[in-house]
Amino acid sequence: MLSAIVMMIVLGSLLGAGLGIAAKVFHVEPDTRVDYVTSHLPGYNCGGCGYPGCSGFADALVSGDTSSWQCKPCKPDAKAEIIEYLATTPGPDGQTIKVKG
Amino acid sequence: MIGELITLLITSVLLNNAVLNQFLGLCPFMGVSRKKSSALGMGVAVVFVIVAAGIVTYGLYHLVLVPLNLEFMDLVTFILVIASLVQLTEMFLKKSSPALYKSLGVYLPLITTNCVVLNVCLVNISNGYDIAHMLVYTIGTPLGFALVLYIFSCIRERLEVADVPQCFKGNPIALIVAGLMAMAFSGLAGII
Repeated sequence: MLSAIVMMIVLGSLLGAGLGIAAKVFHVEPDTRVDYVTSHLPGYNCGGCGYPGCSGFADALVSGDTSSWQCKPCKPDAKAEIIEYLATTPGPDGQTIKVKG
Repeated sequence: MIGELITLLITSVLLNNAVLNQFLGLCPFMGVSRKKSSALGMGVAVVFVIVAAGIVTYGLYHLVLVPLNLEFMDLVTFILVIASLVQLTEMFLKKSSPALYKSLGVYLPLITTNCVVLNVCLVNISNGYDIAHMLVYTIGTPLGFALVLYIFSCIRERLEVADVPQCFKGNPIALIVAGLMAMAFSGLAGII
C-alpha cells in the first residue's frame, strides 16, 4: 500500500518535472490579444457561436477564422470594446483585425 | 526467431490491424481523415506516442512494478505515462508546426484516450512479450494505424467530389467505406 503511494508520487513528480522542462524548451509566445478578448467575453461558455467555449471564439476571432460577431449573450458595450481593441491593436504580424458587428 | 518477428510485424500491421480488425482508435480514424495532410500528421503523432509509451511502460512494468509487487497498478501508471507523452507531443507540435497543430485540433489531446495506445501497452504485458517482440509489436501496430488512416483519407478526398446519394453524404458513406476496407483487409488473412 505504502509502496504504491510512494511509487505514484515519485512517478508523478518525475513526469511533471519532465513536462515542466519541456514547457520551457517548447515555449511559444502566445498572442496576448486572445487573452484580452477572452477576458472581455461573457464567459458563459454557452457554445452559441459554434466554437468550443468563449476562449475558442476568441481564438477564432484573433486567428481570422471568423470575421463576424457571433456572440449573442455579450453586452453591447463589451462587444464594442472588443471590436475597437481588435481594430486598433496590431498583432505579432503587424496586422489589425476588422470584425463586422 | 527472426521469422517469428517478421510474422508478428505483418500480423500487427496488416492482419490484426488496430482499426479494421480490432475496432480500436475509431475516433481519430473518422475525425481527422478528411485531409491527407492532417491524416499523415495524426499518423506520425500516434506512431511517436505509441512507440514511446510502449517502451516506457514496458520498462516501468518490469523494472519498477514487478519488483515492488505492484502489478495491479499497471493501468493507472500507464495512463499517467501516456497522458504525459501526449502533452509533450502537443507542446512539440505547437512549437514546431502550428499549422499541423491547428488542423489536428481537439484530436491531438484526444490521443490520450486513443485506445490503441493503451491496448499496445497492455498487450505487451499480458502476452508476456520479450523485448524484441515488444519492440516489433509496438512499432507495427501504430504503423498499421497510420497506414489505414492515410489510405482512408485518400479515399475520403475522392469521396468529396464523388456523386454520393444525398442521404449518404459525409460520415455515413465514410463508415461504409471503412467497412469495405475492413473486408478488403480481411482478404489478406491468407498471406501467412
